[in-house]
Amino acid sequence: MILCVLFTNRAGNVLLERFHGLPAEERLHWRSFLVKLTAENLKTARDDEVFVASHKSVFIVYTVIGDICIFAVGKEVYDELALMEVLNAVTSSVKEVCRKDPSERLFLEKYGKVCLCLDEIISQGALEHTDKDRIRRLTRLKPLAE
Amino acid sequence: MAQEPGASLMDLITSDPPPPGNPTFPPLGKPERSSKNVPPRKSNVQMTPELLSSIKTSVPGKTGLGLPKQKKPVSYSHLARSLQELSTSADQKAAAKQLVHQVFPKLAVYSSVDPSLAPALLALHKSSEDRSVLRYVYYFFARLLAESGAQGVTSGGGLPTPNWDALADLNLAGGTVVTRAEVVPQIIAQLTAEAAMSDPLLHPRRIAALKALSFAPTSSNDVLANLYGIVFGILDKVADAGKLKRKKGMFGRQSVDKESALRSNLQYAALSTLRRLPLDSGNPAFLHRAVQGIACADPVGVRHALSVVTELATKDTTAVAMAVAKVSLNGGSLQEVLQIHDVLARVYLARLCYILSRAKVLDERPEVRTQFTTILYQLLLDPSERVCFEAVSCILGKFDASESLEDRAVGWVLLTTAILKFPEPPSLPAKDSSGAAGKDGATKEGIPPRGPKDRQAPRPRRPQPLIKLVMRRLEAALRSSSRPVLHGAVRIVQELGKSRASAVAIRGYTVDEMAQQDESMINPTADAMKGEDEAGDAEAGHRRTVSVSAGGKESIASMVASLVEGVRTTTACECVYVRAAAIKALIWMQSPYEPVEELKAIVNGELADPNWPSALLNDILLTLHARFKATPEMAVILLDISRLFATKVPGKIDSDVLQLLWKTCLVGSGPDGKHNALEAVTVVLDLPPPQPLQMVGGRATERADPKSAIALQRLVQAAVWFLGENANYAAGEYAWESATSPSTALMMLDGDKMVAAASSRNPTLAGAITRLQRCAISGSWEVRIIAAQALVTVAIRSGEPYRIQIYEFMHTLAQGRTREKVVGAEATNGEDQGASGTGLSSIIAPMLRVLDEIYKGQDQFVKDTREHDNAKREWSDDDLKKLYDTHEKLLDLVSLYCFVPRSKYLPLGPTSAKLINLYRNEHRIDASAGYNDPAVATGISDLLDYGARGGGVQYPPVNIETGDDLNVTSEWGNNQPGVDRVNAFMKGGGTDAPEDDAEEEEEARPSISYDDMWAKTLLDGSDSSDDEGGSSGSSSPTSAASSRHGSTRFPGGLFTGGQASRREDPFKYPSTATSGMKDMSTKSESPKTSGRKFTTSARNDSMNSDSTTRDSPRMSFDAGSDDRQEPQFGKALYDFTAGGDEELNLTAGEELEIEYEVDGWFMVKKKRPGRDGKSQGLVPVLYVS
Repeated sequence: MILCVLFTNRAGNVLLERFHGLPAEERLHWRSFLVKLTAENLKTARDDEVFVASHKSVFIVYTVIGDICIFAVGKEVYDELALMEVLNAVTSSVKEVCRKDPSERLFLEKYGKVCLCLDEIISQGALEHTDKDRIRRLTRLKPLAE
Repeated sequence: MAQEPGASLMDLITSDPPPPGNPTFPPLGKPERSSKNVPPRKSNVQMTPELLSSIKTSVPGKTGLGLPKQKKPVSYSHLARSLQELSTSADQKAAAKQLVHQVFPKLAVYSSVDPSLAPALLALHKSSEDRSVLRYVYYFFARLLAESGAQGVTSGGGLPTPNWDALADLNLAGGTVVTRAEVVPQIIAQLTAEAAMSDPLLHPRRIAALKALSFAPTSSNDVLANLYGIVFGILDKVADAGKLKRKKGMFGRQSVDKESALRSNLQYAALSTLRRLPLDSGNPAFLHRAVQGIACADPVGVRHALSVVTELATKDTTAVAMAVAKVSLNGGSLQEVLQIHDVLARVYLARLCYILSRAKVLDERPEVRTQFTTILYQLLLDPSERVCFEAVSCILGKFDASESLEDRAVGWVLLTTAILKFPEPPSLPAKDSSGAAGKDGATKEGIPPRGPKDRQAPRPRRPQPLIKLVMRRLEAALRSSSRPVLHGAVRIVQELGKSRASAVAIRGYTVDEMAQQDESMINPTADAMKGEDEAGDAEAGHRRTVSVSAGGKESIASMVASLVEGVRTTTACECVYVRAAAIKALIWMQSPYEPVEELKAIVNGELADPNWPSALLNDILLTLHARFKATPEMAVILLDISRLFATKVPGKIDSDVLQLLWKTCLVGSGPDGKHNALEAVTVVLDLPPPQPLQMVGGRATERADPKSAIALQRLVQAAVWFLGENANYAAGEYAWESATSPSTALMMLDGDKMVAAASSRNPTLAGAITRLQRCAISGSWEVRIIAAQALVTVAIRSGEPYRIQIYEFMHTLAQGRTREKVVGAEATNGEDQGASGTGLSSIIAPMLRVLDEIYKGQDQFVKDTREHDNAKREWSDDDLKKLYDTHEKLLDLVSLYCFVPRSKYLPLGPTSAKLINLYRNEHRIDASAGYNDPAVATGISDLLDYGARGGGVQYPPVNIETGDDLNVTSEWGNNQPGVDRVNAFMKGGGTDAPEDDAEEEEEARPSISYDDMWAKTLLDGSDSSDDEGGSSGSSSPTSAASSRHGSTRFPGGLFTGGQASRREDPFKYPSTATSGMKDMSTKSESPKTSGRKFTTSARNDSMNSDSTTRDSPRMSFDAGSDDRQEPQFGKALYDFTAGGDEELNLTAGEELEIEYEVDGWFMVKKKRPGRDGKSQGLVPVLYVS
């Protein structure tokens, strides 16, 4: 299950998040845990460098593109490598929506579209689409295959 | 950046771009910081419903695409109003544009969707033709439906919103508010109608509607029935029409005609929805359609189908096996999945094949089973690491963490012996075998085929031993630069180690046997090829085998060694999580017969790194536990490693877990290892005493870290206590086991010679005593107290000359003080430093008295015996009674300090046994009954008997909670927090959120999503205390375990060693001791108190510290039985098999009445007698909730 996908800026402020299957009181812990990871690692990170962390049986994979840090938290079938698939889908879609590595402003401008993409990538705690063309088609309500 | 304190995400989205001189946009840091001090909910609270409609924060709007230079409203009410207005004119292009670019994106920022927006959305859904508008409408519908299932709990993210449902209930905003209960059925109805439409032109909308509908709470039967109806409607239609053209879908989108595309789209949507519906495992249609879905042309559809089928397979393996077998014939859809461009689809394929390959129903159809195993093995060559690793885990027998040790052992055997034989390709070239071998070389080099396309041209392949494929793949992954891949690879190595350990433990594999396996592994390869391939091929194969085994010496051992080398190199990764996983893998790959130096060096180096989070370090400690469980022979090695943790990072590790490790390893290390095990613990004592400016962990950065200094001190205390409690066990020295009387010759020696003689007789015990003595003199004050207690424990339990040695030592401490007193009696300033400044004399005095009493009693007994002998007089009943009373009195005294088996312990010496038994027999006193102390009669004496019985100390490789005949935890005192943690770790659980360090917590929290809290504040108005969810301080005296025991505590004296300590966290010692010492120091301030009197009063004080006044120790036991608590009720957590007559068999889940607790055992009563007819008896505390 994908427990959480979280977008923050480089300063660690949450811009967009989707939780699944986490009680509300644990979300705060996860947020601060993730943000702390950022503070330690992402300052000097290259774009597209993927980081990994774990906590008990939960996996965390995160990366930074432009000004935006993206985290994916999962368990069970969504181990670090599956989360990498999730993260790849998310970053490629975000890049496509923003047409480049997003600055914070650009990301916020495209906020709605990012939400729609995320809706296609993750559905109720499971990975749905990974192919950015398919995602684009679906966010425009076009048929998957024609 | 000067940002208004109230600025929010919305302001950022809508505010003007920063001025040209300011290229970077101001980060959210400022509002974030303000919200740290002033919680955002406070500002949100002001957004009461009335305000909500009146807020008009007209922040300048961002230039919209359609409406240039126009200022846009951003308040929620404005957005809502715009939506209402625009929904009526949705057919106009401008309106649609404004919706898509201005209104919807901003509404998406809010963390939940207001149900009162639903009418406008429903109107848009009906009237709008614009696909972008509609896509947003479905998005909001889905969110509304999802939130309705969670009763207004938001999915999180974005700006906090009020609890709309609560607002609607209050109905403060007048008639415009629409309740969720009203709109949700409308939305569902509209979506259902749309999802059922079969107009091909509208099918994208249909799919979107179906998806949104699947967010509806499935608790409602109507919704479920509707969804099932739609899904199966689609699947039936697709299946009927699709039979002829199934193949077409496989070759990409281009070649597919419109009709097939439509079908595949619909089938995908239906399968995706099917996966979210509850499993209907008994339903053949459900299974049939799901299995059919494996042939879906859409890769994501295939993934969903496989996931559903896999889940079904765990429930009803037989039915699924039969259904899938039909489609899995060579070249069937399962084989096709191998080529599908979807990683997770292939992951589910691996799982499915694993489950099915073990299905019993396939015993009669080996060809089908081979099909599944072959596919599983083929997945080892998958280009994606995720898929390959899943296949490896499955082969190793690791599946959803519920597998048995037997599964794992079988997994290892399979991995090391199985051969991947590629299925016959449809068109066999049958020529050019040398060319094929050359191509095959690429695979042999460990370079997997790059992509599915590479494998499209089928070619004959040589059978490959699985182990080689896996090892090469893992080694390649370990060279990867991607951290997740590294992490995944070392995790798989861990699993390899686990399976290997299970194989060794269960199947009794040894290193030699593995070498033999190597032979058999290589030979069948050649045989198989001889049998199946043409002669030339076999020749080549044979040559290869020979060259491989001669040149590369490719034994399993060597492959494993080179893999381990690869893991070692990953410890150079800069990511601490990868390094942690690598160390865990190394611990699992460590064999008990190999030198451990390298691993120790790695761990040592890692621990010097201050960046390690303590959670990770504890994880490694827990891994040591798990490793020990799997291979008890490794006790000493593991202790050796754990000692690095204790010495390097005492402040970061959980001392409960460490202590439990000590205990289990000590018990498990067997007779030979006990000495080493104890040594590993005592090394902690050699750590420098904690000082404010001490260097801990050899790092200057950790200087003056009070936390770790305190932790180190606690650890030392725990070690000292542990040493005292367990020295006798480890040394196998018990006073009651030596049949000979205290050797007078030995006792006549002077001190030095006595020590020398003692240490030659039992170096383990002598060493422990020496350590404790050193601690009693030179440790910190808290440590000295515990050392004294530990010493008296050892003195009481040991025979001579150890007892006299300790007695002498203690006497020296106390004597020094007395002498001082004599000299400066008049000049004392009221401070009592005690002997040599240890401050221990007041604590030692009562201990000395007990030993005094014992020796006095022994002297008297010797005298009496001699008198009787000289007078040739039989012992009269009165004499015997006197003797017996002395015996009992001493027993009671001794029991105040530590546990001794009352039935066996002979304070008057071994020679008294005969007379005591005589008296007991005459008066029918049941020796084992003691004073209502059944634990002493059973559990403890049994425990202490282990050494005597010989054998049985071997710790079986079972989980701690299921160990039947040898339950370490219950015997070795309770360590509930530690046990809990270990058990949780073993089960592989733990998805709870990471705990934060207290001081960093507030800082790290982002401000924007206090949604839930705000809603709470709004609703109940009570102070919304931030619930942190459970305390983390397990080693604090107030932890759950301690308080639990506290309630049932035996009223024992302060320095009564055993009774309390056995059951309690040893860390309670310092606190109780401290209070005791305070009492004493107040007393000692009175200058008139004479030494002797003082010690007595101190002793009384100490004995009364639990506010139970009593005059004699005997009373304490009576008090103990009178003071019993009201009966408590509990439930059996695990099965327990009674080990003695007093014990009671338990079945997990049984209701029990707990009568009282003694020494880690509950006396319980069952509601109904068990199968053995017993309804009352003793069970270990840990087995009862």
